[in-house]
Amino acid sequence: MTVIEKDSLIGKRLTKMDAPEKTAGKTRYIHDINLPGQLVGMILRTDRVHAIIKSIDTSAARALPGVHAVLTAKDLPQKGLGVNKDNPPLKGERVRCERDEIAAVAAESEEIAAQALRLIKVEYEDLAPLFDPEAALRPGAPVIHESKPDNVAMAFDYSHGDVVAGEAESDVVVEDTFTLHRVTHCCMGVSGIIADFEATSGNLTLYSNTQVPFLHKREFAEVLGMDPGRIRIIQPPIGGGFGSKLDIYPFEPICVYLAQATRRPVKLVFTRAEEFLASPTRQPAIVRLRSGAKKDGTLTFRTVDILLDNGGYTSWGATIPFVMMQTFSSLYRVPHCLYHTKAVYTNNPYAGSFRGYGNLQATFAIEAHMDKMADAIGMDALDFRMKNAQVAGEVTPQGMDFKTCGLQDCLTLAARDSDFAAKRSAYAARKGAVGGVKRGIGMASMLHVGGGAKIYPSDGCGTNIKLDDFGHVTIMTGASEIGQGSETVLAQLVCEELGVPMSAVTVVNNDTDITPWDVGVHASRTTFIAGNSAVGAARKAKAKILAAAAGLSNLPAEQLDLRGGHVIRAEDGESVMPLAKLLRSLHFSDKAELVTTSHYYEPPSVHQDKGFKGNVSAAYAWATQVVEIEVDTDTGIVTLLKVWAAHDVGRVLNRLGIEGQIEGGIVMGQGYALTEDMIMVEGHLKNAGFTDYKLITAPEIPEMSIEFIETMDGEGPQGAKGVGEAPAICMAAAIGNAIENATGVRLTSLPFTPERVYRGLKQGAAS
Amino acid sequence: MTAIERYLAPASLDDALAALAGGNATILAGGTDLMVQSHGGKTRLRPVLLNIRRLPELAGHSIEGESVRIGALTTINQLREDATLAKALPLLAEAADRFASDQVRNMATIGGNVCNASPAGDTLVPLLVLDAEVELASASGRRRLPINGFFTGPGRTLRQPEELLTAIYVPMPRLRTVSRFVKFGTRPALDISAVSLGFKAELTPAGLANVRVAFGAVGPTPMRGPGTEALLEGQRLTPALIAKAAETAMAEITPIDDVRATAWYRRELVHNLLRKVLNDVADH
Repeated sequence: MTVIEKDSLIGKRLTKMDAPEKTAGKTRYIHDINLPGQLVGMILRTDRVHAIIKSIDTSAARALPGVHAVLTAKDLPQKGLGVNKDNPPLKGERVRCERDEIAAVAAESEEIAAQALRLIKVEYEDLAPLFDPEAALRPGAPVIHESKPDNVAMAFDYSHGDVVAGEAESDVVVEDTFTLHRVTHCCMGVSGIIADFEATSGNLTLYSNTQVPFLHKREFAEVLGMDPGRIRIIQPPIGGGFGSKLDIYPFEPICVYLAQATRRPVKLVFTRAEEFLASPTRQPAIVRLRSGAKKDGTLTFRTVDILLDNGGYTSWGATIPFVMMQTFSSLYRVPHCLYHTKAVYTNNPYAGSFRGYGNLQATFAIEAHMDKMADAIGMDALDFRMKNAQVAGEVTPQGMDFKTCGLQDCLTLAARDSDFAAKRSAYAARKGAVGGVKRGIGMASMLHVGGGAKIYPSDGCGTNIKLDDFGHVTIMTGASEIGQGSETVLAQLVCEELGVPMSAVTVVNNDTDITPWDVGVHASRTTFIAGNSAVGAARKAKAKILAAAAGLSNLPAEQLDLRGGHVIRAEDGESVMPLAKLLRSLHFSDKAELVTTSHYYEPPSVHQDKGFKGNVSAAYAWATQVVEIEVDTDTGIVTLLKVWAAHDVGRVLNRLGIEGQIEGGIVMGQGYALTEDMIMVEGHLKNAGFTDYKLITAPEIPEMSIEFIETMDGEGPQGAKGVGEAPAICMAAAIGNAIENATGVRLTSLPFTPERVYRGLKQGAAS
Repeated sequence: MTAIERYLAPASLDDALAALAGGNATILAGGTDLMVQSHGGKTRLRPVLLNIRRLPELAGHSIEGESVRIGALTTINQLREDATLAKALPLLAEAADRFASDQVRNMATIGGNVCNASPAGDTLVPLLVLDAEVELASASGRRRLPINGFFTGPGRTLRQPEELLTAIYVPMPRLRTVSRFVKFGTRPALDISAVSLGFKAELTPAGLANVRVAFGAVGPTPMRGPGTEALLEGQRLTPALIAKAAETAMAEITPIDDVRATAWYRRELVHNLLRKVLNDVADH
């Protein structure tokens, strides 16, 4: 007889399931998909930032041979897109920012479409522009949307305790204004869509790079005035999302209208320059923060006033205060907190969601103050954080319930590995703004949702599992793969339950006609929510299989298990029968049955009340990152030497995958801190390409030491928590602290480009 | 968009020069600037696209008397990888090492880099301090021009439309010559200079001789620094002289503000980087 040894996949280093195809260049992205009869869609964008459209003449474009449709606003219903429904797909009366869509063309080739766009004549009457978010609030400022005469797109207020009382008991109070810049996602896969109507039924199939297919169905239906049941969304492999594909944007319905007008499939894919000009940005912010502490190191209060530059329209960027307030209220224990935010309209590009969702901006401000207050009261920067760090069991005044919390472990481990305390005082003793190369070390910590986020009516995910006659498992999950490795983790979790190898699993995750509902890829939720859903479906399948095996083997189900593709005896691993044989015997029996199961998981979190209080996530992720840098005071160049990252991830599922997530996040945070910047001059983007929009390149990537703290979250799948956004959050804050440690100059504006650092050092040395 | 009417890839220089005679051709060598500029709508291609990559006279390099003759088609990677070239002209090899990426360096040619005449062109500052000359050929003859003065504006040179740049002549540096090249970009690779700086001088017992200082990306063309050169000529490097040279250099450049740097920052960089270079030479 065969004995099958127990072997767990959890914590192993597994190659992502899509990696072989991707590395071989075989993956078929949306660029590679072409439908019979397909036309090319292209959009004419405005060259103004704020103007009345006097006239649009499309006659020459329409007359061009090979052009099948030219659409302007008057051809479409004027339905607004986005969070405030303020962004019509094509603009007919007025333009409000550089990316505004004026007309769209469907043609037989890219060349013809481009030629047609050049033939469209638009007359404008310029309006007074508005670029400065602070000016937007002043009386007499240009009004960007008539429906919002005060230019305030969205506002959030939160408070707990009494900051006046908090300040009265403070021994030290610090105040700064932090200015956070505009960056964009730079996905390798640009935005794109193919719209295809079925001729007879009128049903619509969309091939889309969206990261929220089920929400998208609803939104498309609303804009198009269609029954959502007649819209099918198929996602080709997506070359990165990072939040950029979380909203519906004008190009998507435009493509559908072109398909409708031409009765042909239409494909619309951005160029790289267009991706820079017309995809969302991270939310620029001006953060005024006032914080206090007692001499013994106890935090007393925080007063926060944030102004967000919303741009011309409202996408998810306006809602980042939801996430920022969690950090201000609950990263450390702070008894009194008062928080105001406003997102104001300007004629700048509009901001969407971006990995970290406001938390990079909030953490940057908070962690600068943690260093500043520690230094002011003469306390070690690590001890000060440890004293105020959250611990497991804490329910914060905002209502967050930290059932597991590894923050103190993260702090301790990152500080120990980096020799933080000794280096910080040694470098501080040598610090200066002039005189060659200076070295510094800096630390920052973060809190982020790690068990979903109850923002929508449901934060759930469904999974169907099907086993075939040969023991092959198909997982149909609502959760999208956008490069983050979710399909591998879901397969791993199911294999762990069903005792089958990874090679016996297929994951179907890209077709709304097949997969069960999911809210989408956001809030670092997929491993946690879709993982729990997949585990639930697998456990149901397992119970069914073991019950059937009990009937055939004369052993009670409780004494059976699944392992290595077999039904085994739990006590000694002895094979009872191969799984495939059992599945066939169930199928071809007098009470014939196929093994399929379904499970919908809804996390035990709650919707926040009107005061934004409530346990919005089923678990929370924690991290501390320490950076060591050099600053060349002759040029302002900051070189990142090493990063020590300690992350509370609940539990490591795929070690290779999670290391990749952390490394990628660190590099993204490094780019945010040091090099990336959308350079705007009067509403126009001046660096719409990789020549002057500087992503981090290989030689700049620092050495990294990554440690995982496994707090084994009781609600998480196998104890895991979400980690997708966490690693990008601390970097700018830690680097800012390290620059201060090296030079004595506290820089409050990002990014830390050589020129900004150099200028700051000059000013610092002069003052 | 430009309609290219004819594509020519001649195998002899005479055929190439004949094709250029009407002044109606765009010259294609490595294409690393040309393709980007024409796709970006910054360069209008002429009706004839003339590929010069098959011209044997433009390839290779040789020592001719006191000079190195570098064929215009010599790629940037050949400047750094060819043992003879790298040994004879280490400054050019160093600039080549900081030039774009391997993929670009494999295609880009020195002739193209010179004719593109970018104020930030990576080989131009070294060629200026090395007293290089360019050789131009046309159907009516050949001429040689010093590279100092060859650049007349961003993207503009003394080359006429019917002329082809065939080679670059660089005098072999004399004994006891020190040279330095500094490229300042905001990152260690794949960057366009915000500022670059070249220095060359002979160290004689009496002091520095034949001093050359040149700058990139601080004016409409790569430029020599005559004031700085005159200040240093015949002198020994002292801390006071180095400080004065840095001040002089900062004052004689004509930088502008653009997306890569402000004029103020470029002046500061030239000041600090020249000071660093001269301190390094003084310690030599």
